[in-house]
Amino acid sequence: MHYIEIRDVDFEYEKGKSVFQNLSLNIDKNETIALMGPNGSGKTTLGKLMAGILKPTKGQVNVFSRDTRDIPLHEIGLRIGYLFQNPEKQFFANTVYDELGFVMKIKGYDEEYIKEKVEEKLELFQLKGLVNHSPFLLSQGEKQRLAIAAVLMNEPEYLILDEPTTGLDKKRKDMLLNLLFMLKNQGIGMTIISHDRRFVERICSRFIYISRGEIQYDERA
Amino acid sequence: MTREHNLDPRTKLVIVLCLSTLGIAVNNLALLSAIALLSYVAASLFRANLKRTFRKIKSLIYMLLFIALVQSIFTRGEPLLSAGGFAILTVNGVERALQFILRMAIVIFSATIIGTSSSRSIIQGLVQWKLPYDIAFMAALGIRFLPMLREEIRDSLVAIQLRGIDIKNIPIKERISLYSYLFNPLLVGTLLKAERLSIAMEMRGFRAYDKRTSYLVLKFTKLDYLIMFFSIAITAVFLIISYM
Amino acid sequence: MDVIEISNLYFRYSKREEYLLKGLSLRVRKGELLAITGESGCGKSTLLSIICGIIPHIRKGEIEGEVKLFGREVRDMAIRDISKEVGIVFQDPDSQIFLPTVEDEIAFGPENLMVPREEIGLRIERALKAVNMEEYRLENPNNLSGGQKQLIAIASVLAMETDILLLDEVMSQIDEDGKDKIKRTILNLHREGKTMVIVDHDIDNLSLADRVLELKSGMLREFKGW
Repeated sequence: MHYIEIRDVDFEYEKGKSVFQNLSLNIDKNETIALMGPNGSGKTTLGKLMAGILKPTKGQVNVFSRDTRDIPLHEIGLRIGYLFQNPEKQFFANTVYDELGFVMKIKGYDEEYIKEKVEEKLELFQLKGLVNHSPFLLSQGEKQRLAIAAVLMNEPEYLILDEPTTGLDKKRKDMLLNLLFMLKNQGIGMTIISHDRRFVERICSRFIYISRGEIQYDERA
Repeated sequence: MTREHNLDPRTKLVIVLCLSTLGIAVNNLALLSAIALLSYVAASLFRANLKRTFRKIKSLIYMLLFIALVQSIFTRGEPLLSAGGFAILTVNGVERALQFILRMAIVIFSATIIGTSSSRSIIQGLVQWKLPYDIAFMAALGIRFLPMLREEIRDSLVAIQLRGIDIKNIPIKERISLYSYLFNPLLVGTLLKAERLSIAMEMRGFRAYDKRTSYLVLKFTKLDYLIMFFSIAITAVFLIISYM
Repeated sequence: MDVIEISNLYFRYSKREEYLLKGLSLRVRKGELLAITGESGCGKSTLLSIICGIIPHIRKGEIEGEVKLFGREVRDMAIRDISKEVGIVFQDPDSQIFLPTVEDEIAFGPENLMVPREEIGLRIERALKAVNMEEYRLENPNNLSGGQKQLIAIASVLAMETDILLLDEVMSQIDEDGKDKIKRTILNLHREGKTMVIVDHDIDNLSLADRVLELKSGMLREFKGW
């Protein structure tokens, strides 16, 4: 059994505009995967199918042996962390602290416990000085770190990152890479959707290239 | 310059105004039904995408039916359906509810007629009718960004669930804070985008002068005049019948 | 001839203590293609905003020093006059494009400046030709790819027919294919003599330029590579 299984999947956004037909792919947790391809190739769509955000028109997507149609999204979210290309899409709070802690707050966790967990992440992701800042007014690099930190609050075992290097300069890309290596060493699997070949080559072990809805090649490093 | 053999947007505005006026002024159920049917036919003739509109307002329809029901319950009159001495449905109530539903249908169908013109031509129509251009642009921008809001709400719901929140099982006292969390990205996102867009527009000279020229020029054709005349005439007829 | 002249520019946003730009100086010659790079947050975009007058006319901040376009102080000019001399294209095409067709979008700028209809028609043609997007004239910009949208954003600013063009991280959100098209457009414009200042943090995009400067610690200096 593979961690994520895509079996004979068809997907179309609108009637007649097919993105994938009969796509099959198996993904294991211990691989670091690069999903590459030009804009419009379907790589983001594939990432969303993997995270259960989209459901296949035909065929099946299984994550940890369960059909994504049968698992509520919030349950998937606890095990598979998804990072949108635009980090603002997943910011909900008015301060960095709240952004990290609000989910646990809503679930009724103890405040002291939340504080402990939040401060852990603030330290790890170098966000301490920004505790009271609005997530929406941070720089691109800071937003990136906050988004990853927030998703990691649930301690997921897998990450799907959509174009994480967008808008990052070389120094920030290196910082992101270090972060991802650290997570990889902790046993967290990941799929990185990116057109930045140089970036993914440094961390990924398997390279899947998609063009016009078809897998053009699937190679291991 | 004209791009398609489409009616002038101002003609469509006249039609919509006529239909809306009738929708508000007429009370007779038979007449209202006729007007609603007329609006539907008009919308189809303009090839408005009714299926898509229907899909978009599906959730709204439930709310409208609910309002109609409430209206009917709270209207007194000859009882149609009672339970334990309390009239649940009355004749007047049902009449009111149907009036409401028909009026809403008329408004919705006529709104789709406006949607068959591009926002730029609607702006131009309003400007050629002497509306100040900055107001016309703001109105059209609202029209352009509103449909995107629906998609953004959906994205927000997805994103918050992915953070591990089971939106269906939230205790009541947390529900309010949940909504404020949900709307934050929408609000901030919209405000930021609006600010950036207004700067871009200003750097391209928007509001540099009191007037502006237009590459697009609208000209009424004989068909436009004909249709406007008939719309107004039919409206007058309906109004007269309604008040007799 | 110096088209842009900046002397001893100090700038900080209103609520901050530290100055972002500290005694910055810059001279841009007519027809030059200048690239400015630097870490994110260093003030590159702020500098562009100051050159085209967004600061102080639209956004606020504390500014000291000289900023001149063709010899005139930017702070003494109205935006409507500045917009005839400098055009600026930003990073996010969705925050610049808002009209239903490409043609409407490109016509928008000249219409605001009361350019007569016939001339607008000519400008639309020239702008579309400059970005190689003539076949998309009646297309809805929302249906275009990110790179194509950016080309339309550039075309709409080109239609203002300014002497100076500022490009603020215009390739940051664009894929390889789109970047190539944008770079080609920039080179063509350079060949035609347009004065351009490009801000970008990605070194691959800087090789087009005649001169590359780095913004560090609030001042500009020659860029010597990372």
